[in-house]
Amino acid sequence: MLNARLLRWAAWAPGLETLESWHAWARDPVPIVAEGQPEARFLPPLLRRRCTPLTRIMLTAAFACCAEKERGEVRSVFASRHGSINESIEMLEAIAEEKPLSPAKFSHTVHNAQAGLFSIAANNRRASSSLAAQEDTFGCGYLEALAHLEREPARPVLLVMGDVPLAETFAHLIDEPPASYALALLLAATDSGAPVAEDEMLAFEWRTGDVIAPKPWPAALEFLRWWLIGAESELALGLRRCRWVWQRPFNPDYS
Amino acid sequence: MSKNRGGMPARPPCALVALGMTNALGANPEEIWPRLLAGDQSRFSLRDDLVPGRRLLVGEVVGPLPALPGRLRHYACRNNALALAALLQMESELNVVLRAIPRERIGVVVGTSTSGVGDAEAAIRHRRRTSKLSPSFTYAQLEFGGIAGFVADWLEVRGPAFTLSTACSSGARALATARSLLALGVCDAVIAGAADSLCGLTAGGFSALQAIAEGVSNPCSVNRKGLTLGEGGALFLVVREAGGVQLEGVGESSEAHHISAPDPSGAGAEAAMGEALADAGLPPSAISYLNLHGTGTPQNDQMECEAVARTFGKQLPCSSTKSLVGHTLGAAGAMEAGFCWLMLQHRSQEHLPLIPHCWDGQRDPKLPELHLTDKGEEVSVRGDCHVMSNSFGFGGNNCALVLGVEPRMEFQPGFDS
Repeated sequence: MLNARLLRWAAWAPGLETLESWHAWARDPVPIVAEGQPEARFLPPLLRRRCTPLTRIMLTAAFACCAEKERGEVRSVFASRHGSINESIEMLEAIAEEKPLSPAKFSHTVHNAQAGLFSIAANNRRASSSLAAQEDTFGCGYLEALAHLEREPARPVLLVMGDVPLAETFAHLIDEPPASYALALLLAATDSGAPVAEDEMLAFEWRTGDVIAPKPWPAALEFLRWWLIGAESELALGLRRCRWVWQRPFNPDYS
Repeated sequence: MSKNRGGMPARPPCALVALGMTNALGANPEEIWPRLLAGDQSRFSLRDDLVPGRRLLVGEVVGPLPALPGRLRHYACRNNALALAALLQMESELNVVLRAIPRERIGVVVGTSTSGVGDAEAAIRHRRRTSKLSPSFTYAQLEFGGIAGFVADWLEVRGPAFTLSTACSSGARALATARSLLALGVCDAVIAGAADSLCGLTAGGFSALQAIAEGVSNPCSVNRKGLTLGEGGALFLVVREAGGVQLEGVGESSEAHHISAPDPSGAGAEAAMGEALADAGLPPSAISYLNLHGTGTPQNDQMECEAVARTFGKQLPCSSTKSLVGHTLGAAGAMEAGFCWLMLQHRSQEHLPLIPHCWDGQRDPKLPELHLTDKGEEVSVRGDCHVMSNSFGFGGNNCALVLGVEPRMEFQPGFDS
């Protein structure tokens, strides 16, 4: 298995804006509210005006997860199934109507828009990647974060997973509970020389096997729930071709 | 090949053992390589259906693309057909891997910036006429993760499969992650690369940004007017073996500057190139050739030439291949790593053939005077041979790769076939 340290987490969803509210949700989970966005007052006004709901949500979780000093220094991985696709769909509607496209809007439709805006807002010049993997996006995002730790073990990686509901044009094409949310995890390598506390250890692997029935909330939040409750040593998630398995506490036999 | 990384554990080797590629220059590397070397700029096409009221010169893949099998028809879109064209070229090498390695140990990391958005445009037009999306349209064609899902399902592999999408650095980044998955020991083979397809969204978007040239892009020229769009696919089979062409170094940085314009100082590009050299354990003088990002926009040329001059001086042979195949956006990083791969494959005992920099020869006096390669140029190489490829994307996402070969190359696949 692959070991990492989970140094800190932060999450945002409509009505779930504090650590305490997430602890309460973990004990008594309900489906996540579909629509809503944070104010993101920490962003400069000019930048904030340009931000889509997803960008505000992901950057709110990202900023809450890092101390100010860390924010400019971490590597980052932004995982989102849909990313800025709703803004792309708006542009596709404009194309169908032969309307001119807005250059500023176009720049914000890239899948790494949230990563790019995080880099600007946090003045972060470190490596950053953005990914999507259909229903398996959270597990793949976690693996991409481990890939960054492989490249530079001494530098923590900020993983931010988030989504907003798919625009109505295409929403009926997928089977997914509509939710607006983001989860941020600050991950570090176990072999970076820093002392390791047992309660921050996390092991990860995938296995073949049957797919696991989805919960009525996103996989990333099912992970958070498992982490916060701490009653089970193992969590398995996986909707497509493999099962993602997380284990705690750290088992030294795996290192 | 393993190098000491400043006290960190040595990384295992990472061989790029097979390449499948299609772009405006040809349907496969055998067609593409001689045209690259000849600097053949005759293969661009005119399209008037991409941007209303505008006729665009583009690097289009002409000729038929393979049809997706019926079981995967939910993935059917031009972008995935470009990926399939590349996959089919590697079929014999892939079959060796599929027989030798368990399916859950084979990963897929693919870059794209368009996914099947061109097909989504058609679906939305259909809805305007009929009030319903076209019946063949599925979300798997449009979503970014779809191309990785398609490649994994076509190969019937069960390892991790995901799409990296960081605009124009996506394809380079896919190779960087492939190397990490092999080094972490979680995969024994990775299919990695990228595909991107021409569509109204990117053509209209870059046109609105006034970034598209009327003619072929003219990088580093005083007359340059912007980029020329292209499309294509380039996929590699990547394994943890020594020999052959190795992925030796990866350098990454973010710009923290602007969503669609690079930092004019070139600091981000310089950081990526410097990190790639350090990661490969090589001094700048060990690099024999640099494939520029070279889009032909004034902003890119300015910052990239400054950064290259600071990193390497002005002697290093450089060229942009975007004036030959167009800017293939999300595919460009993998495509241009593929051009470097072909170059290293064609290395003789003493010489490395160089891909020419195709332009009008009118230097912009404001740019550092880099060594831009001519047609027929070669560089003498003895011993190891290393080249670099630059990719810089919207959002300020930079990735530089170092590829290399050992002396006395024997190009055997790194496993028993």
